[in-house]
Amino acid sequence: MQEYRMTQISKEEIIPTALRMRHEGRWLVMIHGLVEPDGQVRVSYDYAVDPAVESYYVLGETTLPSISGIYDEAARWPECELHELMGLEFEGLDTSKRLFLPEDMLETQGKGHILVTPLSELRAKRVEQMEKGE
Amino acid sequence: MSYIVPIGPYHPALEEPIHAKLYTEGEVIVDAEVNVGYNHRGIEKLATERNAIQTLVLVERVCGICSHSHAFTYAMAVEGVNGTEVPKRGQYIRVITAELERLHSHLLWAGIAFHIIGHDSMFMHTWDVRELIMDMLEELSGNRVNYGMVTIGGSRRDISDEMRRDFLAKLDKVGPIVDRIVDISLNDKTIAMRTKGVGVMSTEDAIRLGAVGPHARASGVKIDVRRDAPYSSYDDFEFDVPVCDSCDVFARVVVRLLECYESVKILRQALENLPAGPINLGNKIPKIKEGEFVARHEAPRGQLSHKVAGNGGQMNQRVSIHVPSYKNTPTVPHMLRGNTVADAGLIIASIDPCFSCLDR
Repeated sequence: MQEYRMTQISKEEIIPTALRMRHEGRWLVMIHGLVEPDGQVRVSYDYAVDPAVESYYVLGETTLPSISGIYDEAARWPECELHELMGLEFEGLDTSKRLFLPEDMLETQGKGHILVTPLSELRAKRVEQMEKGE
Repeated sequence: MSYIVPIGPYHPALEEPIHAKLYTEGEVIVDAEVNVGYNHRGIEKLATERNAIQTLVLVERVCGICSHSHAFTYAMAVEGVNGTEVPKRGQYIRVITAELERLHSHLLWAGIAFHIIGHDSMFMHTWDVRELIMDMLEELSGNRVNYGMVTIGGSRRDISDEMRRDFLAKLDKVGPIVDRIVDISLNDKTIAMRTKGVGVMSTEDAIRLGAVGPHARASGVKIDVRRDAPYSSYDDFEFDVPVCDSCDVFARVVVRLLECYESVKILRQALENLPAGPINLGNKIPKIKEGEFVARHEAPRGQLSHKVAGNGGQMNQRVSIHVPSYKNTPTVPHMLRGNTVADAGLIIASIDPCFSCLDR
Protein backbone atom coordinates (compact mmCIF):
# COMPACT_ATOMS: atom_id res chain seq x y z
CA MET A 1 0.00 0.00 0.00
CA GLN A 2 1.29 3.46 -0.85
CA GLU A 3 1.57 5.97 1.96
CA TYR A 4 1.87 9.73 2.13
CA ARG A 5 3.53 11.69 4.92
CA MET A 6 3.62 15.47 5.32
CA THR A 7 6.17 17.51 7.28
CA GLN A 8 6.30 21.29 7.55
CA ILE A 9 9.76 22.79 7.14
CA SER A 10 11.13 26.33 7.05
CA LYS A 11 12.58 28.01 3.98
CA GLU A 12 16.12 27.47 5.35
CA GLU A 13 15.60 23.70 5.61
CA ILE A 14 14.76 23.19 1.90
CA ILE A 15 18.38 22.78 0.75
CA PRO A 16 19.55 20.53 3.67
CA THR A 17 16.49 18.30 3.10
CA ALA A 18 17.20 18.06 -0.63
CA LEU A 19 20.86 17.27 0.06
CA ARG A 20 19.92 14.55 2.54
CA MET A 21 17.43 12.98 0.11
CA ARG A 22 19.95 13.13 -2.75
CA HIS A 23 22.56 11.51 -0.53
CA GLU A 24 20.13 8.70 0.35
CA GLY A 25 19.48 8.17 -3.37
CA ARG A 26 15.81 9.20 -3.30
CA TRP A 27 13.97 10.26 -6.46
CA LEU A 28 12.35 13.71 -6.45
CA VAL A 29 8.72 13.01 -7.38
CA MET A 30 7.62 16.61 -7.91
CA ILE A 31 7.57 20.13 -6.55
CA HIS A 32 3.92 21.11 -6.21
CA GLY A 33 2.50 24.56 -5.68
CA LEU A 34 -0.88 25.08 -4.04
CA VAL A 35 -2.90 28.07 -2.89
CA GLU A 36 -4.51 27.48 0.50
CA PRO A 37 -8.14 28.57 1.01
CA ASP A 38 -6.80 31.54 3.03
CA GLY A 39 -4.69 32.68 0.08
CA GLN A 40 -1.30 31.50 1.40
CA VAL A 41 0.98 29.73 -1.04
CA ARG A 42 2.17 26.27 -0.07
CA VAL A 43 5.07 24.71 -1.95
CA SER A 44 5.70 21.03 -1.26
CA TYR A 45 8.75 18.99 -2.18
CA ASP A 46 7.74 15.36 -2.62
CA TYR A 47 10.39 12.65 -2.41
CA ALA A 48 9.88 8.94 -3.08
CA VAL A 49 10.86 7.07 0.09
CA ASP A 50 9.49 3.75 -1.15
CA PRO A 51 6.79 2.65 -0.59
CA ALA A 52 5.83 6.08 0.78
CA VAL A 53 5.98 9.61 -0.57
CA GLU A 54 7.42 12.11 1.92
CA SER A 55 6.24 15.64 1.39
CA TYR A 56 8.15 18.57 2.92
CA TYR A 57 6.18 21.77 2.58
CA VAL A 58 6.88 25.45 3.08
CA LEU A 59 4.00 27.76 3.88
CA GLY A 60 3.51 31.39 2.88
CA GLU A 61 6.84 31.97 1.07
CA THR A 62 6.93 33.34 -2.46
CA THR A 63 10.73 33.50 -2.83
CA LEU A 64 12.46 30.17 -2.35
CA PRO A 65 15.97 28.82 -2.87
CA SER A 66 16.34 26.69 -6.01
CA ILE A 67 17.31 23.04 -5.57
CA SER A 68 18.14 22.66 -9.26
CA GLY A 69 21.82 22.58 -8.28
CA ILE A 70 21.14 19.36 -6.33
CA TYR A 71 18.47 17.61 -8.39
CA ASP A 72 19.49 19.07 -11.76
CA GLU A 73 16.79 19.03 -14.47
CA ALA A 74 14.38 17.00 -12.32
CA ALA A 75 14.01 20.08 -10.10
CA ARG A 76 14.62 22.80 -12.69
CA TRP A 77 11.54 22.04 -14.78
CA PRO A 78 9.05 21.96 -11.88
CA GLU A 79 10.58 25.18 -10.52
CA CYS A 80 10.25 26.84 -13.94
CA GLU A 81 6.64 25.69 -14.10
CA LEU A 82 5.83 27.19 -10.69
CA HIS A 83 7.62 30.38 -11.71
CA GLU A 84 5.53 30.65 -14.87
CA LEU A 85 2.12 29.49 -13.69
CA MET A 86 2.13 30.73 -10.09
CA GLY A 87 4.62 33.60 -10.19
CA LEU A 88 6.94 32.16 -7.51
CA GLU A 89 10.58 33.23 -7.48
CA PHE A 90 13.41 30.73 -7.14
CA GLU A 91 16.82 32.13 -6.18
CA GLY A 92 19.51 30.80 -8.46
CA LEU A 93 17.14 29.46 -11.13
CA ASP A 94 17.75 30.42 -14.75
CA THR A 95 14.43 31.89 -15.90
CA SER A 96 15.67 33.55 -19.06
CA LYS A 97 13.81 30.95 -21.18
CA ARG A 98 10.19 29.97 -20.87
CA LEU A 99 9.01 26.40 -20.34
CA PHE A 100 5.31 26.25 -21.23
CA LEU A 101 4.20 29.77 -22.06
CA PRO A 102 5.03 31.77 -25.19
CA GLU A 103 8.24 33.86 -25.04
CA ASP A 104 6.34 37.17 -25.09
CA MET A 105 4.49 36.28 -21.88
CA LEU A 106 7.68 36.43 -19.82
CA GLU A 107 7.90 40.22 -19.70
CA THR A 108 4.20 40.77 -18.96
CA GLN A 109 4.02 40.38 -15.21
CA GLY A 110 1.19 38.14 -14.08
CA LYS A 111 -0.23 37.44 -17.54
CA GLY A 112 0.50 33.72 -17.54
CA HIS A 113 -0.08 32.89 -13.87
CA ILE A 114 -3.15 30.79 -14.57
CA LEU A 115 -2.93 28.67 -11.42
CA VAL A 116 -3.44 31.67 -9.13
CA THR A 117 -5.86 33.65 -11.31
CA PRO A 118 -9.58 32.86 -10.82
CA LEU A 119 -11.11 31.05 -13.81
CA SER A 120 -13.82 33.72 -14.19
CA GLU A 121 -11.11 36.36 -14.66
CA LEU A 122 -9.29 34.18 -17.23
CA ARG A 123 -12.55 33.70 -19.16
CA ALA A 124 -13.29 37.44 -19.12
CA LYS A 125 -9.78 38.11 -20.49
CA ARG A 126 -10.34 35.58 -23.28
CA VAL A 127 -13.68 37.17 -24.26
CA GLU A 128 -11.98 40.58 -24.30
CA GLN A 129 -9.23 39.23 -26.57
CA MET A 130 -11.73 37.61 -28.94
CA GLU A 131 -13.73 40.82 -29.21
CA LYS A 132 -10.54 42.67 -30.12
CA GLY A 133 -9.94 39.98 -32.74
CA GLU A 134 -6.63 38.75 -31.25
CA MET B 1 30.88 24.80 -40.33
CA SER B 2 28.51 25.48 -37.43
CA TYR B 3 24.81 25.44 -38.02
CA ILE B 4 21.69 25.58 -35.86
CA VAL B 5 19.25 22.97 -37.14
CA PRO B 6 15.68 23.33 -35.92
CA ILE B 7 13.46 20.25 -35.63
CA GLY B 8 9.77 20.78 -35.07
CA PRO B 9 7.43 21.87 -33.58
CA TYR B 10 5.85 20.04 -36.53
CA HIS B 11 8.02 17.44 -38.21
CA PRO B 12 7.37 14.09 -39.93
CA ALA B 13 9.51 12.19 -37.39
CA LEU B 14 7.56 13.59 -34.45
CA GLU B 15 4.11 12.40 -33.50
CA GLU B 16 3.57 15.33 -31.20
CA PRO B 17 4.87 18.90 -31.21
CA ILE B 18 8.27 19.60 -29.65
CA HIS B 19 10.86 22.09 -30.78
CA ALA B 20 14.45 20.89 -30.66
CA LYS B 21 17.33 23.17 -31.58
CA LEU B 22 20.44 21.30 -32.63
CA TYR B 23 23.77 23.15 -32.53
CA THR B 24 25.87 21.27 -35.03
CA GLU B 25 29.47 21.18 -36.11
CA GLY B 26 29.30 19.63 -39.58
CA GLU B 27 27.00 16.65 -39.14
CA VAL B 28 27.70 16.15 -35.42
CA ILE B 29 25.45 17.62 -32.75
CA VAL B 30 27.56 19.48 -30.18
CA ASP B 31 24.68 20.81 -28.10
CA ALA B 32 20.91 20.82 -28.14
CA GLU B 33 17.95 22.30 -26.39
CA VAL B 34 14.29 21.33 -26.31
CA ASN B 35 11.29 23.62 -26.01
CA VAL B 36 7.89 22.32 -24.98
CA GLY B 37 4.53 23.92 -24.34
CA TYR B 38 2.75 23.55 -27.67
CA ASN B 39 -0.02 21.45 -26.11
CA HIS B 40 -0.58 23.37 -22.87
CA ARG B 41 -4.30 23.24 -22.15
CA GLY B 42 -4.50 24.23 -18.48
CA ILE B 43 -6.07 20.93 -17.39
CA GLU B 44 -4.87 21.34 -13.78
CA LYS B 45 -6.69 24.66 -13.62
CA LEU B 46 -9.88 23.22 -15.15
CA ALA B 47 -9.83 20.37 -12.61
CA THR B 48 -10.31 22.85 -9.76
CA GLU B 49 -13.82 23.55 -11.09
CA ARG B 50 -14.88 19.92 -11.46
CA ASN B 51 -16.14 17.26 -9.08
CA ALA B 52 -14.32 13.94 -8.75
CA ILE B 53 -16.34 12.09 -11.43
CA GLN B 54 -16.06 14.96 -13.92
CA THR B 55 -12.32 15.14 -13.22
CA LEU B 56 -11.97 11.44 -14.08
CA VAL B 57 -13.33 12.23 -17.53
CA LEU B 58 -11.08 15.30 -17.79
CA VAL B 59 -7.81 13.66 -16.73
CA GLU B 60 -8.49 10.71 -19.02
CA ARG B 61 -8.15 13.22 -21.86
CA VAL B 62 -4.69 14.39 -20.79
CA CYS B 63 -3.21 11.73 -23.06
CA GLY B 64 -4.55 9.37 -25.69
CA ILE B 65 -2.11 6.49 -25.26
CA CYS B 66 -2.03 6.28 -21.46
CA SER B 67 -5.55 7.54 -20.78
CA HIS B 68 -6.31 4.75 -18.30
CA SER B 69 -3.16 5.53 -16.30
CA HIS B 70 -4.35 9.07 -15.58
CA ALA B 71 -7.86 8.07 -14.51
CA PHE B 72 -6.41 5.18 -12.47
CA THR B 73 -3.89 7.40 -10.64
CA TYR B 74 -6.38 10.20 -10.03
CA ALA B 75 -8.87 7.69 -8.58
CA MET B 76 -6.14 6.24 -6.33
CA ALA B 77 -5.27 9.74 -5.10
CA VAL B 78 -8.90 10.55 -4.23
CA GLU B 79 -9.26 7.16 -2.52
CA GLY B 80 -6.04 7.93 -0.64
CA VAL B 81 -7.44 11.24 0.65
CA ASN B 82 -10.70 9.57 1.68
CA GLY B 83 -9.12 6.37 3.02
CA THR B 84 -11.34 4.24 0.75
CA GLU B 85 -10.53 0.56 0.22
CA VAL B 86 -11.31 -0.63 -3.33
CA PRO B 87 -12.91 -4.12 -3.67
CA LYS B 88 -10.38 -6.74 -4.77
CA ARG B 89 -12.17 -7.51 -8.05
CA GLY B 90 -12.20 -3.81 -8.91
CA GLN B 91 -8.43 -3.63 -8.25
CA TYR B 92 -7.78 -6.63 -10.51
CA ILE B 93 -9.85 -5.16 -13.37
CA ARG B 94 -7.90 -1.89 -13.07
CA VAL B 95 -4.64 -3.85 -13.27
CA ILE B 96 -5.86 -5.81 -16.32
CA THR B 97 -6.73 -2.57 -18.15
CA ALA B 98 -3.42 -0.98 -17.12
CA GLU B 99 -1.36 -3.94 -18.39
CA LEU B 100 -3.29 -4.14 -21.67
CA GLU B 101 -2.59 -0.43 -22.05
CA ARG B 102 1.12 -0.99 -21.38
CA LEU B 103 1.22 -3.74 -24.02
CA HIS B 104 -0.46 -1.57 -26.63
CA SER B 105 1.71 1.45 -25.75
CA HIS B 106 5.00 -0.46 -25.93
CA LEU B 107 4.06 -2.14 -29.22
CA LEU B 108 2.96 1.20 -30.64
CA TRP B 109 6.31 2.73 -29.66
CA ALA B 110 8.28 -0.22 -31.06
CA GLY B 111 6.36 0.13 -34.34
CA ILE B 112 7.17 3.84 -34.56
CA ALA B 113 10.84 3.20 -33.74
CA PHE B 114 11.05 0.63 -36.56
CA HIS B 115 9.29 3.05 -38.89
CA ILE B 116 11.80 5.83 -38.08
CA ILE B 117 14.78 3.58 -38.80
CA GLY B 118 13.14 2.66 -42.10
CA HIS B 119 12.18 -0.93 -41.28
CA ASP B 120 8.55 -0.67 -42.38
CA SER B 121 7.77 -4.38 -42.56
CA MET B 122 8.62 -4.67 -38.83
CA PHE B 123 6.47 -1.61 -38.19
CA MET B 124 3.47 -3.35 -39.77
CA HIS B 125 4.24 -6.62 -38.03
CA THR B 126 4.35 -4.90 -34.63
CA TRP B 127 1.14 -2.99 -35.22
CA ASP B 128 -0.54 -6.19 -36.34
CA VAL B 129 -0.08 -7.75 -32.91
CA ARG B 130 -1.01 -4.43 -31.29
CA GLU B 131 -4.35 -4.73 -33.07
CA LEU B 132 -5.02 -7.92 -31.08
CA ILE B 133 -4.52 -5.96 -27.86
CA MET B 134 -6.71 -3.11 -29.12
CA ASP B 135 -9.47 -5.66 -29.86
CA MET B 136 -9.21 -6.89 -26.28
CA LEU B 137 -9.43 -3.35 -24.93
CA GLU B 138 -12.41 -2.68 -27.17
CA GLU B 139 -14.11 -5.84 -25.95
CA LEU B 140 -13.41 -4.89 -22.36
CA SER B 141 -14.37 -1.22 -22.42
CA GLY B 142 -16.18 -0.56 -25.70
CA ASN B 143 -13.49 1.95 -26.73
CA ARG B 144 -10.10 1.92 -28.41
CA VAL B 145 -8.94 5.00 -26.48
CA ASN B 146 -10.30 6.72 -23.35
CA TYR B 147 -11.58 3.49 -21.88
CA GLY B 148 -13.64 4.97 -19.02
CA MET B 149 -12.94 1.88 -16.93
CA VAL B 150 -12.31 3.65 -13.64
CA THR B 151 -14.64 5.18 -11.11
CA ILE B 152 -13.84 6.44 -7.63
CA GLY B 153 -13.94 3.27 -5.50
CA GLY B 154 -13.48 0.64 -8.22
CA SER B 155 -14.02 -0.17 -11.89
CA ARG B 156 -16.98 0.65 -14.09
CA ARG B 157 -17.27 -2.54 -16.15
CA ASP B 158 -17.05 -6.15 -15.12
CA ILE B 159 -15.29 -9.01 -16.92
CA SER B 160 -17.59 -11.92 -17.70
CA ASP B 161 -16.37 -15.49 -17.50
CA GLU B 162 -16.66 -15.83 -21.27
CA MET B 163 -14.58 -12.70 -21.85
CA ARG B 164 -12.00 -13.97 -19.38
CA ARG B 165 -11.56 -17.22 -21.31
CA ASP B 166 -11.46 -15.33 -24.60
CA PHE B 167 -8.71 -13.03 -23.26
CA LEU B 168 -6.64 -15.99 -22.06
CA ALA B 169 -6.94 -17.57 -25.52
CA LYS B 170 -5.89 -14.31 -27.21
CA LEU B 171 -2.90 -13.93 -24.86
CA ASP B 172 -1.74 -17.37 -26.03
CA LYS B 173 -1.50 -15.90 -29.53
CA VAL B 174 0.31 -12.73 -28.43
CA GLY B 175 3.29 -14.57 -26.86
CA PRO B 176 4.61 -16.31 -30.02
CA ILE B 177 4.23 -13.13 -32.15
CA VAL B 178 6.19 -11.11 -29.58
CA ASP B 179 8.81 -13.91 -29.60
CA ARG B 180 9.23 -13.39 -33.33
CA ILE B 181 9.50 -9.58 -32.97
CA VAL B 182 12.11 -9.97 -30.19
CA ASP B 183 14.03 -12.50 -32.30
CA ILE B 184 14.18 -10.16 -35.31
CA SER B 185 14.99 -7.08 -33.15
CA LEU B 186 17.92 -8.83 -31.49
CA ASN B 187 19.39 -10.35 -34.65
CA ASP B 188 18.55 -7.99 -37.51
CA LYS B 189 21.59 -6.14 -38.89
CA THR B 190 19.66 -3.01 -39.95
CA ILE B 191 18.15 -2.53 -36.50
CA ALA B 192 21.53 -3.11 -34.82
CA MET B 193 23.29 -0.60 -37.09
CA ARG B 194 20.73 2.12 -36.50
CA THR B 195 20.29 1.66 -32.74
CA LYS B 196 23.44 0.25 -31.13
CA GLY B 197 25.63 2.94 -29.58
CA VAL B 198 23.15 5.67 -30.58
CA GLY B 199 21.75 8.15 -28.03
CA VAL B 200 23.70 6.85 -25.06
CA MET B 201 22.66 7.98 -21.58
CA SER B 202 24.93 6.58 -18.89
CA THR B 203 23.60 5.15 -15.61
CA GLU B 204 25.13 8.11 -13.71
CA ASP B 205 23.34 10.60 -15.99
CA ALA B 206 20.05 8.72 -15.63
CA ILE B 207 20.28 8.98 -11.84
CA ARG B 208 21.52 12.58 -11.88
CA LEU B 209 18.75 13.78 -14.20
CA GLY B 210 16.10 11.63 -12.50
CA ALA B 211 14.98 9.57 -15.52
CA VAL B 212 12.09 7.17 -14.86
CA GLY B 213 10.38 4.15 -16.38
CA PRO B 214 11.70 2.01 -19.27
CA HIS B 215 14.02 4.88 -20.20
CA ALA B 216 15.84 4.60 -16.83
CA ARG B 217 15.70 0.79 -16.88
CA ALA B 218 17.40 0.82 -20.29
CA SER B 219 20.22 2.76 -18.61
CA GLY B 220 20.62 0.12 -15.91
CA VAL B 221 18.55 1.78 -13.15
CA LYS B 222 16.19 -0.76 -11.63
CA ILE B 223 13.16 1.31 -10.65
CA ASP B 224 9.54 0.33 -11.05
CA VAL B 225 6.69 1.69 -8.93
CA ARG B 226 4.82 -1.61 -9.26
CA ARG B 227 7.67 -3.32 -7.39
CA ASP B 228 8.97 -0.48 -5.16
CA ALA B 229 5.63 0.82 -3.90
CA PRO B 230 2.96 -1.77 -4.75
CA TYR B 231 -0.61 -0.57 -5.19
CA SER B 232 -3.89 -2.02 -6.46
CA SER B 233 -2.89 -5.66 -5.68
CA TYR B 234 0.35 -5.55 -7.72
CA ASP B 235 2.03 -7.43 -4.85
CA ASP B 236 -0.22 -10.43 -5.64
CA PHE B 237 1.53 -10.98 -8.98
CA GLU B 238 4.92 -12.37 -9.82
CA PHE B 239 6.84 -10.46 -12.46
CA ASP B 240 10.37 -9.34 -13.24
CA VAL B 241 11.68 -5.86 -13.91
CA PRO B 242 13.84 -6.12 -17.07
CA VAL B 243 16.96 -3.96 -16.96
CA CYS B 244 19.52 -3.44 -19.73
CA ASP B 245 22.83 -1.69 -19.22
CA SER B 246 23.97 -0.88 -22.75
CA CYS B 247 22.24 2.53 -22.24
CA ASP B 248 21.53 3.14 -25.97
CA VAL B 249 18.44 3.15 -28.19
CA PHE B 250 18.88 -0.60 -28.70
CA ALA B 251 18.55 -1.11 -24.91
CA ARG B 252 15.31 0.88 -24.96
CA VAL B 253 13.90 -1.39 -27.69
CA VAL B 254 14.95 -4.52 -25.76
CA VAL B 255 13.60 -3.32 -22.38
CA ARG B 256 10.21 -2.38 -23.82
CA LEU B 257 9.86 -5.65 -25.71
CA LEU B 258 10.83 -7.69 -22.63
CA GLU B 259 8.28 -5.74 -20.60
CA CYS B 260 5.60 -7.01 -22.99
CA TYR B 261 6.32 -10.53 -21.66
CA GLU B 262 5.99 -9.31 -18.05
CA SER B 263 2.65 -7.65 -18.86
CA VAL B 264 1.39 -10.88 -20.42
CA LYS B 265 2.56 -12.70 -17.27
CA ILE B 266 0.65 -10.29 -14.99
CA LEU B 267 -2.44 -10.39 -17.23
CA ARG B 268 -2.49 -14.17 -17.15
CA GLN B 269 -2.21 -14.27 -13.34
CA ALA B 270 -4.89 -11.59 -12.92
CA LEU B 271 -7.32 -13.27 -15.32
CA GLU B 272 -6.80 -16.76 -13.89
CA ASN B 273 -7.20 -15.64 -10.27
CA LEU B 274 -9.89 -12.97 -10.75
CA PRO B 275 -11.55 -12.78 -7.32
CA ALA B 276 -15.34 -12.82 -6.95
CA GLY B 277 -17.21 -9.92 -5.41
CA PRO B 278 -18.30 -6.38 -6.24
CA ILE B 279 -16.31 -4.25 -8.69
CA ASN B 280 -16.97 -0.86 -7.08
CA LEU B 281 -18.59 0.88 -4.13
CA GLY B 282 -21.59 2.40 -5.94
CA ASN B 283 -22.06 5.39 -8.22
CA LYS B 284 -22.54 8.30 -5.82
CA ILE B 285 -20.50 11.44 -6.48
CA PRO B 286 -17.91 11.25 -3.69
CA LYS B 287 -16.90 14.10 -1.43
CA ILE B 288 -13.16 14.69 -1.19
CA LYS B 289 -12.14 15.00 2.45
CA GLU B 290 -9.95 17.80 3.73
CA GLY B 291 -6.38 16.70 3.15
CA GLU B 292 -4.15 15.59 0.34
CA PHE B 293 -2.54 12.50 -1.12
CA VAL B 294 0.00 11.64 -3.78
CA ALA B 295 -0.71 8.44 -5.73
CA ARG B 296 1.92 6.93 -7.98
CA HIS B 297 1.45 4.51 -10.86
CA GLU B 298 3.90 2.89 -13.25
CA ALA B 299 2.44 4.19 -16.52
CA PRO B 300 3.81 2.74 -19.80
CA ARG B 301 6.40 5.56 -19.88
CA GLY B 302 7.32 5.54 -16.19
CA GLN B 303 6.26 6.92 -12.86
CA LEU B 304 3.06 8.95 -13.05
CA SER B 305 1.93 10.84 -9.97
CA HIS B 306 -1.25 12.72 -9.18
CA LYS B 307 -1.55 14.96 -6.15
CA VAL B 308 -5.10 15.70 -5.06
CA ALA B 309 -6.00 18.20 -2.35
CA GLY B 310 -9.58 18.31 -1.13
CA ASN B 311 -11.50 20.73 1.08
CA GLY B 312 -14.41 18.56 2.23
CA GLY B 313 -16.67 19.30 -0.77
CA GLN B 314 -17.19 17.53 -4.08
CA MET B 315 -14.68 19.74 -5.93
CA ASN B 316 -10.90 19.38 -6.01
CA GLN B 317 -9.01 22.15 -4.35
CA ARG B 318 -6.00 21.32 -6.48
CA VAL B 319 -4.97 18.52 -8.81
CA SER B 320 -1.31 18.42 -9.73
CA ILE B 321 -0.30 15.97 -12.42
CA HIS B 322 3.28 14.91 -12.86
CA VAL B 323 4.00 12.72 -15.86
CA PRO B 324 7.03 10.54 -16.75
CA SER B 325 7.88 12.59 -19.86
CA TYR B 326 8.45 15.54 -17.52
CA LYS B 327 11.50 13.69 -16.18
CA ASN B 328 12.58 12.03 -19.42
CA THR B 329 12.39 14.97 -21.83
CA PRO B 330 15.18 16.99 -20.11
CA THR B 331 17.52 14.03 -20.76
CA VAL B 332 17.13 14.45 -24.56
CA PRO B 333 19.82 17.17 -25.01
CA HIS B 334 22.30 15.00 -23.07
CA MET B 335 21.59 12.04 -25.35
CA LEU B 336 21.80 14.10 -28.55
CA ARG B 337 25.34 15.39 -27.91
CA GLY B 338 27.91 13.64 -30.06
CA ASN B 339 25.37 12.00 -32.37
CA THR B 340 24.61 12.86 -35.99
CA VAL B 341 21.65 14.93 -37.17
CA ALA B 342 20.28 11.87 -39.00
CA ASP B 343 19.76 10.09 -35.66
CA ALA B 344 18.14 13.05 -33.87
CA GLY B 345 14.56 12.04 -34.73
CA LEU B 346 15.15 8.50 -33.45
CA ILE B 347 16.83 9.69 -30.24
CA ILE B 348 13.97 12.08 -29.44
CA ALA B 349 11.47 9.29 -30.13
CA SER B 350 13.46 6.78 -28.05
CA ILE B 351 12.22 8.19 -24.73
CA ASP B 352 8.66 7.43 -25.93
CA PRO B 353 7.80 11.09 -25.45
CA CYS B 354 4.27 12.19 -24.71
CA PHE B 355 4.05 15.94 -24.98
CA SER B 356 0.31 16.18 -24.49
CA CYS B 357 0.92 14.54 -21.08
CA LEU B 358 3.85 16.82 -20.38
CA ASP B 359 2.12 20.09 -21.22
CA ARG B 360 -1.22 19.08 -19.71
